[in-house]
Amino acid sequence: MDGKRHPSSFQQLEKLGEGTYATVFKGRNRQTGELVALKEIHLDSEEGTPSTAIREISLMKELKHDNIVALHDVIHTENKLMLVFEYMDGDLKKYMDTSGDRGALKPMVIKSFMYQLLKGIDFCHKNRVLHRDLKPQNLLINSKGALKLGDFGLARAFGIPVNTFSNEVVTLWYRAPDVLLGSRTYNTSIDIWSAGCIMAEMYTGRPLFPGTTNEDQIVRIFRIMGTPTERTWPGLSQFPEYKTTWQMYATQGLQTILPQIDPAGIDLLQRMLQLRPELRTSAHDALQHPWFNDLMQPQQQQHHQPQQPMMQPHRGYQQTVPSQATYDGY
Amino acid sequence: MPPKTRAPRLVNNENDENSNAATTRLTRAKAATLNVDELATKGQGLQSKKTTVNANPVRKRAALGDVSNVTKAELENGKKAATKPGLVSKAAQPTGIKKTTARSGVLAPKPVNKKVEPVNRSGSGVHKRKEPAVEKDIPEEGEPLRKRVAVDLKPKTSQVTRKEPIPAQIEEPVLGEHVYPPGVKDLDSEDLDDPLMVAEYANEIFEYLRDLECKSVPNPQYMDHQDDLEWKTRGILIDWLIEVHTRFHLLPETLFLAVNVIDRFLSEKVVQLDRLQLVGITAMFVASKYEEVLSPHIANFRHVADDGFSESEILSAERFILSTLGYDLSYPNPMNFLRRISKADNYDIQSRTIGKYLMEISLLDHRFMAYRPSHVAAGAMYLARLILDRGEWDETIEYYAGYTEEEIEPVFQLMVDYLARPVVHEAFFKKYASKKFLKASILTRQWAKKNAQHYGILDTDLSLDQIS
Repeated sequence: MDGKRHPSSFQQLEKLGEGTYATVFKGRNRQTGELVALKEIHLDSEEGTPSTAIREISLMKELKHDNIVALHDVIHTENKLMLVFEYMDGDLKKYMDTSGDRGALKPMVIKSFMYQLLKGIDFCHKNRVLHRDLKPQNLLINSKGALKLGDFGLARAFGIPVNTFSNEVVTLWYRAPDVLLGSRTYNTSIDIWSAGCIMAEMYTGRPLFPGTTNEDQIVRIFRIMGTPTERTWPGLSQFPEYKTTWQMYATQGLQTILPQIDPAGIDLLQRMLQLRPELRTSAHDALQHPWFNDLMQPQQQQHHQPQQPMMQPHRGYQQTVPSQATYDGY
Repeated sequence: MPPKTRAPRLVNNENDENSNAATTRLTRAKAATLNVDELATKGQGLQSKKTTVNANPVRKRAALGDVSNVTKAELENGKKAATKPGLVSKAAQPTGIKKTTARSGVLAPKPVNKKVEPVNRSGSGVHKRKEPAVEKDIPEEGEPLRKRVAVDLKPKTSQVTRKEPIPAQIEEPVLGEHVYPPGVKDLDSEDLDDPLMVAEYANEIFEYLRDLECKSVPNPQYMDHQDDLEWKTRGILIDWLIEVHTRFHLLPETLFLAVNVIDRFLSEKVVQLDRLQLVGITAMFVASKYEEVLSPHIANFRHVADDGFSESEILSAERFILSTLGYDLSYPNPMNFLRRISKADNYDIQSRTIGKYLMEISLLDHRFMAYRPSHVAAGAMYLARLILDRGEWDETIEYYAGYTEEEIEPVFQLMVDYLARPVVHEAFFKKYASKKFLKASILTRQWAKKNAQHYGILDTDLSLDQIS
């Protein structure tokens, strides 16, 4: 990553997506012919390089992992910053829309994707990084069945103990209840909640908690997970968004709303969707969950072994990935 | 698409080094480590350029004033001053900013340093500084870290009616994979129910940080290739940045990162004296963007440098610095290591406060540059505990610090050396002479003067600048 390469080293192809502060294009390296994703970040004329870009680049240069999209290069021009990423064929959202059965994916595909998602999260957390924006649009998929975490624009490094951060993180539907309640002292468990929401969504093709406002989001979660009380969640009333007027909902079993998930899968999901962050499982533990026992793996899966073989197509797994998909997961 | 907010500017800068950031559910361990040594003013965060800067007009301190009114003539008399365009100014050119030669800066030309008389200011010479801050009570020291009783620890899996048995029993989280040397206590397990301690990942994270730190060490000899600068000028710059950092209510991490950015940049590029302050202020700007929840607007940085540089100059410098460093800001902050060691020291607030002061010495005294952040943190905690007579450096604390007494010795020796000499960094001295920092700078200097001889430091009447 010498930073001296010129934007003209890449042929700009079609637009893949448009984010809040960047535009993503498909590109081709003129020398090697290799496909890439080019993320163009517009530099603020007043405040310069956005902090999101500074964090994203710095963190992604550190995080080299099979389940995290690779940042190849950074090119700085007069008024924009161009990040060169490895090319992926689409994002999980588009994949569900085009390849799923009304959005729903096949159980073995879900299992493989969840395993890879948790591997990527585990690696981030071991390297003291919170992603803080996990959602299907930010998970990139390629035709080999690989899933990789993308868009680290909201990510940040944390210390121990974790510092106070902004609570304006994570797209509403995937935002953990403690964050919705106004907590600014969240930790790695914030990403696990999102992973749980994504797992459920892959089964149904629909977001699990599609709230419209912060308040509505909280209610939707309580309607399924049950309204917590000071007794079930000590300290609950200390949260800034705590309301004494919450309707009291009883806990619905996840298996009743998600009958398509097998019991072991429900158990894992239950552990990821704990309201209280301290009770939520970690990515490390989730990866040990028996639900993954029948995941097709070559010999013994080791941390450092390439994951590719695991992503061999499973029985009945349709491999078609939309090649023209637009997505903004970089 | 669900609604989403990106990179918001929040109303309060609660992440302030000095604010008591107890917004929500502050756990004991967190309170113990975060809220005390870095306490102070519940200041208004920097919201807009106007409020902050105007409400808090730049106080020119004497030391700064002495050198900041450098006239053009003086500059030209200075060693190579303003003769060739520095790299930074070149970098600033793309935006078409004309470089001005004479500006008020923090830094005097090189020769000035030869005339400096040692100011023998021992611990007694503390200036009463107008404290803008509300003094916060220091919480009781050494509050034992009690394990909180976790209610309802197990997920409610029992409610799930299973159609078939789950293949294998899931184990409760344990940190059993990590092997501890004999005599070392596993201190992370007690935090398993405290989410903010990320106990499950603590060992791996610290191993990772220890790997990472060799990558961000600057070249300790970079002054050899700086024609225009000397260590003394660097010291003046950092001392001033400490003042800026305090005024902006930034996190301690931001200061350490900013200084690392400056040193790594100066390791790579030759900088002209009259651009050094631009490098300093821009490094602070970049570090704030990386570390802070809400980083101050660029105008604050321009104002605090006496409008010596335009905003577009700062932005050009930002791009040049970031591309020189390859956007790599993954510096393992010494604050992380200090808190880790403090954990093995029962979060003793006094030793950690003194330790934090001692650790900051490494920012001003260039002789620490060759040492890793974890090494400096270990030296600082070691000396703090020695001064406070906190007992021996036992296996557990040695393990969490990652250094034996023997390994710590050179760092520790250097700290005593710095403290036994006359004060040259006044802003730094004053910051820690306040009650809220336990008068760390006074206390440690008194101790060092008494004990320097014992450690073979004899020429203590010479200042750091005289021996560098």
